[in-house]
Order: sequence, then C-alpha cells, then structure tokens
Amino acid sequence: MARRVELSWGLFALLVLAILLALPLGAGPYAIRLAAVIFMWAALAGSWNLLAGYAGAVDLGPVVYHGIGAFGTAALMMRAGLPFLVSVALAGGVAAAIAFVIGTPTLRLRGAYFAIGTLALAESAKQLALAWDRLTGIPLTGGSAGISLPLSAGYLPFYYLMLTVMACVTLTALWLERSKFGYGLRAIGENDRLAEASGVDIHALKRRVYMASALFIAWTGGIEGYWLSYINAAEAFGTAITFQMVVMALLGGLGTPFGPLLGAAFLTLASEFLGTRFVYHYLIGIGLIIVIIPLFMPAGLAGLVRLVRRERPLTA
Amino acid sequence: MTLLECRGVTKAFGSLVALKEVDLALEEGETLGIIGPNGAGKSTLFNAIAGLLPLTAGDVHYRGRRISGLPTHAVCRLGIAKTFQIPQLFPRLTVLENVMIGALYGGGEGLGKARGAAADWLGFVGLADRGGLPAATLTVSERRRLDLARVLATGATVLLLDENMAGLTQKEMEAALTLLRAVRERGKSLVVIEHVMRAIVGIADRVLVLNYGEKIAEGHPHEVMQDPTVIKAYLGEAYA
Repeated sequence: MARRVELSWGLFALLVLAILLALPLGAGPYAIRLAAVIFMWAALAGSWNLLAGYAGAVDLGPVVYHGIGAFGTAALMMRAGLPFLVSVALAGGVAAAIAFVIGTPTLRLRGAYFAIGTLALAESAKQLALAWDRLTGIPLTGGSAGISLPLSAGYLPFYYLMLTVMACVTLTALWLERSKFGYGLRAIGENDRLAEASGVDIHALKRRVYMASALFIAWTGGIEGYWLSYINAAEAFGTAITFQMVVMALLGGLGTPFGPLLGAAFLTLASEFLGTRFVYHYLIGIGLIIVIIPLFMPAGLAGLVRLVRRERPLTA
Repeated sequence: MTLLECRGVTKAFGSLVALKEVDLALEEGETLGIIGPNGAGKSTLFNAIAGLLPLTAGDVHYRGRRISGLPTHAVCRLGIAKTFQIPQLFPRLTVLENVMIGALYGGGEGLGKARGAAADWLGFVGLADRGGLPAATLTVSERRRLDLARVLATGATVLLLDENMAGLTQKEMEAALTLLRAVRERGKSLVVIEHVMRAIVGIADRVLVLNYGEKIAEGHPHEVMQDPTVIKAYLGEAYA
C-alpha cells in the first residue's frame, strides 16, 4: 500500500517536472515570468518549511540568508569577476557557513524565544548591511541607495534556475518524509525532550537542516538579485520577505513537501488576479484569504489534497 | 559487575536541595526499586542520571566510565534510557514510528532494521495491532507500554522506569508486572520508581528509600518496609 502510494507520488512529481521543463515551448513571456516568480517563492517558503515544518523551529529571520545570497553573489561577480553561476554557488556556501555559526547558539533557544531571537537577528543584519560601506570602508551593499548589477540576459534562464532551486528544495522535503534524518527531525518537532531522551542529537540535526535551508535561500536570493539587476539592503534583508515565506508555507501546508509550492502558486496567482482588477483594494482580498484558509483548512491546501486522496491509511 | 553507580549525587535548585549526596549502585541483571513520599527527589534522581539535569555535585558512572556531564542523547546511546512519569510520545507519528525513533537514534540502526525491531518490541509489549495508529489515540495504559517499547528499542541495558504502573487498574498492573519480569529475562537491569508497594515487592531485588532528597534506607523490600525511619517518613511519628 505505502509503496504504491510512494511510487504514484514519484511518477506524478516527474510528470509535473517534465511539463514545467517544457512549459517555455508553449507559453508566452508573461506566463514564464509569472511561473519563475512562483518557483522563487516556492523555493523560499519550502526552505523555511524544512526547519519549521519538520523540526518545529519557527525561524523569523530566514531573510538574512536571502540578503547574504543577493549581496554575496553581487560582490563575487563584480569584485572578484567570477561568472554568475559560480558566484551564486559560492554565496550559498558562505550563507551555509554563517548559518553554522549563527545556528549553533540560536537553535538552542526553544519555541517563541527562537522566533524572537531570529527576528531580532534579521533586523540587526539589515542595519549592519545598510551601514556596511560606511563602517568598513569596503563598498559592498551601497548603503540605502543599493547597488546595480550587470544587466542579465533575458528571463528564460531565470525560469530554469528558479525551477532548479525549487526542485532541490522539494526533493529535500520528499527525502525528509522517508529518511532516518527526517524521522529524527519530526521527532524533534513533535517532542524535543523525548527525542533527546531517545538518542537524537537534537542540536546537530537542527543545525544541519538550518544550514541546508540557508543554502537554498541564499541561492534564491542570488538568482533574484541578478534577475532584477538591482538590490538594496532594506528590501533584500526586509521582514516582508520573511513573512511572505511564512504565510505561503502555512497556507500551503506546514510540514508537507508540496505545501509551500501550492501556497506560493495560490498566493502569487491570487495577488496577480486581484491586483490587476482591484488595484487599490486587492490587499483586503488577500488578507481575507490568509485568514479564511487556515480557519477552514487548518492543514493548509495540501491538507485538502490529502483529504481527497486519502493518502494515509488509518491502519497499516 | 556494577553497571551504574551514583557517587554523592547532589542537585540543588537555588536553595532547595532536591538530592543530597545520594549513593546508588546497580548490579548487572538487578532490579532496584526506588520509593519515597512525593517530592522526595525520585524523578530528579532519574533526570540527573539520564543527563536531563546538570548535577550540583557528585558524579555518575556507567560501566566504570564517568557519564555525568554528557548530553542526554549520548547517555541514551551508551545504554541508559528512561521512561517518563507522565508518559511521553510523538503524538502525530504512528505508534510504530514512535518506537522506531528509539531504534534509529538510540540503537543507531538503519530504517529497515529499525522498523523490524520496532515491530518486534511492539509485539513484546502487546501493542502489535496498534502500530499504524497515531500515537495520540492511545489510552494511558497503552501509552505506558509504548514508552516502554521505545526505551527497549534504544537497545539500552539499564532502564529507568518512572512510575510505569501509575494509574493502572488491578488487572493492568498484574499484566505490567508480568511484562517487567519478561523485560528482566531479556537481560535488562532496571531501576524502578513506584508508589504501589505491591508492585515493588513483586519485582525489586533491593529497595532504596529517599526522603527530602536523602537516602534514608536501603535493602531487601520486606526489611525496608519494617524500618522505623521509613514508616516515620511515610506515616509520621505516631506509627513508627
């Protein structure tokens, strides 16, 4: 039973991936750009979901790694003269290393303390980024004016790049669903004291997934920066990005592999649809959606899918 | 051979001394009962041994190696695992997955082996037919058995059982005692906190009595229960 469900899920995911790879052949520039934005948010929300959805640690500062990715990529391209893809990859490594240093003390905080701690951290990182050039004398972030990157080539590469990162994040979540590491994380999320007493090294496991999430977020930030060819610290390190990640993951379904993608697609399309029709009032509609979905579907959009498919048998 | 040894274990919460220079030794294959009035420090002693609480003074040794100061998960992997006074579980994982966590991380097994071991231990504690249910759906007596199965799955040789029989009916308690005897036959050494005297007498080789954090008596269950200091601690001066 379980095997067959796994297999059908795998085939379904492959089919979707094939369609997405071929999409640019049949869709116009607007649809491609919109899809790339959805993948971007799915990658961000999905990265947040790796830690919050599986290990139960609510991080309110993931945007730190978005900013590090964006400015790290820009610096490596413009100061070190490295190619774009190499710069993105390296900026991800830098973010993961910083996540190791930051995660070691902060991941010991539990519950609301971890949330508040990371929120404060993100605000400090933003202020540091804004003041960086003035403080260090090394031009990197351009202060409040931001920096411009070399103009990028079209939009199609970004579609595939965002698709790749999103696929990496989703595959990681799928792996967590059926691996020893994933069981350890879920045990921590359910009852961390009991997990510890059952032999789970909770700090090491949380730090590992935190670093993976930082890596993916930084990649997304780096790709986005080059795509927009302009970044400034107030936005790249802004809490607005954090909260959009959180809301999308919650709407889609926390702790599910495809929930963040559903949430990202739904909210992006809703904003797009309502935004073009009700230019001044669409945010009211978005607000209502954000309140109503969790109220009537506590497990998110993915919970609805699960209900229809009856994915999990009650007895095994 | 002495498996587990506490030397002068002291734990203070501010000015409140919860444990005062407690010595304890557990031989291989032995079952040691720990009794004492509410607040005597029994659970604190377990938490101190399991690494859930840092000690104020003294130390704990396992197979001759000092283990006090090690993190909880490391103590568990070495072979000392505890159940909880209020039975703990991973509520949304299935009953089988709950036990698997013990085998995966405490026992260091891979997924396939852990699943097999978890199924075996579930059968051992009589929960084989509950394996696929979310753990949150279990009754209190089933939760206590799940807690026991999880601890057994870690492969620990020393089990610290904190009131594993509290809140059980007469019949359930008989079954629980039979189960604990079966655990002993598997070569496990047990330290058992229990309030129900009949249960202690039925299982323990030796009993240690705590009162206000201090050891006031130790010995054979029947002798300890005749001890005037113990009777005084439980019932007051008039009965001693």
